[in-house]
Amino acid sequence: MTPDDEPELEHEAAELVRPYVITNGRDLLDGSEFSLITLVTVHAEPPRTKPLDPEKLRLLELCSGGFLSVAEIAGHTRLPVGVVKILVADLAREGHLYSRAPIPSAQLVDRKILEEVLNGLQARFG
Amino acid sequence: MTQYFQDPALWGLIAGTPVAATAIIRGRKKISELRAEKAELKQHYANLEHHYTEAVEEAKDRAEEATKTTLKSAMRTLQGLASEQQLAISKLQETYGEHKILQDLLDIDHMNSQFARRAQSIAVLCDGWLGRRRHNASLYDVVRSAKGRIRHFTRVEIRSQSNFAIVSRAVEPVALVLAELLDNATSYSAPETMIEINIRPVPKGVCIVVDDAGVGMNEEEKARAAQLLSSENSASVSSLGNPPQFGFTVMGVLAARYGFTVSVDSTSPYGGVRAVVLLPDDLLTSLHEPEESPAVAASAPLPPEHPPGQPAPGGAAPAPRAPAYPAPGRQPMEQPAPVQPIAETTAGGLPKRRRRGAISIVPTQTESTETPARDSATTASVMGAFQRGTQSGRRSTNASNEGHEVQ
Repeated sequence: MTPDDEPELEHEAAELVRPYVITNGRDLLDGSEFSLITLVTVHAEPPRTKPLDPEKLRLLELCSGGFLSVAEIAGHTRLPVGVVKILVADLAREGHLYSRAPIPSAQLVDRKILEEVLNGLQARFG
Repeated sequence: MTQYFQDPALWGLIAGTPVAATAIIRGRKKISELRAEKAELKQHYANLEHHYTEAVEEAKDRAEEATKTTLKSAMRTLQGLASEQQLAISKLQETYGEHKILQDLLDIDHMNSQFARRAQSIAVLCDGWLGRRRHNASLYDVVRSAKGRIRHFTRVEIRSQSNFAIVSRAVEPVALVLAELLDNATSYSAPETMIEINIRPVPKGVCIVVDDAGVGMNEEEKARAAQLLSSENSASVSSLGNPPQFGFTVMGVLAARYGFTVSVDSTSPYGGVRAVVLLPDDLLTSLHEPEESPAVAASAPLPPEHPPGQPAPGGAAPAPRAPAYPAPGRQPMEQPAPVQPIAETTAGGLPKRRRRGAISIVPTQTESTETPARDSATTASVMGAFQRGTQSGRRSTNASNEGHEVQ
């Protein structure tokens, strides 16, 4: 315990504005509207709304360069993913952002079809 | 006439007069002596009383000092723990950001903040440690931080943003004072009413105005509040009353120590209390600090001589840290772009991000997707690693797994 009243700057102080204040105490989204890999970007013509919170402005800045995933936004802003989802949902609802479903990975062909094809080939040529 | 001379009464009278006079004089003397003695005694008594009061006062002061010292060190421990816990909660929130548990972590964070504020208030009364010293922070963030330290924070609505920032030494004191004001405002108003915060620039600095729709204060309460808020002598722990009322005392101490004023003597438009915190110019600064561009810093992996958790040199923001989430699906071609300081800022004071391809998964048409050229040494080491990897993979899976999928 040091006696000084003016402690040095702590290197690792937690953020001044806590995440629950940023969401204003709202519940997390339970829907699956936004997943980790949902891509979002800014609208070309942003709507005129009341001044946005610094976190939302920062989020829009991040997305202004192209599509960015929710996970990446969380990484850059150092906010929990659940909180980012709330912010993204807000911005999307107000028309600042729009989202795009992730590019689907190649579908695996159904095994049943393969078997039917195999059976057909065997019936014909076998 | 002679008959009188023969009267023994006359002679008696003549003889008696000096005797009586002597007696009277003696009596007078005695009385004045007694008076002097009495005065002396009185003086002595007063001295004793004075000494006694002094002794009692001194004992009280000493007890007060002892209480303060004890509380101060106890609070310092608690504050340290709360701050440590806050960091731990922050890390958990990042780790479990996509889990349901995040909701609980946010709640715990909120409770921890309230707990830290209580400890901080007591510490202030004991001339103790105010807690983490912060970097310069925007007034809006300080107000939001204050909002997060009270129980019913969702009732607080911040109506205006501003470009002002608060200098580092005043960040915590102002946040704590505002939190105490908001605590009062939420406690003395109906649960469904809102508390409004407005930020107004005035010639002498900036005012933070807190309006509640509560019951207000009567003249007596106002006078007492004003007295506590303006008192420059150190607060005493023993005169807080029961139940103890910290709020105004804490605010008074902080306002005097850091040179701002708090007043609660006006009425809000909603009939409740209007509290005004006036921050003078010397506690204010502007937001346009040469902050290292966070977008660029975050997208480029930090070089090794820059371990996470340490503030970047010259960086005003406490933020820089390696991105916690290695973005899934990030192209391997993504090389750290040359980090360039970006001068432009947006209207909101945030650094403006140039359009860059490196950060997005789907590059825009105009951006080149070419793989950056590697020098021969890198190529050689990459190829070597690839070869070693395939070899070890073959060795380990040959026996067990081969043919498993083919059946």
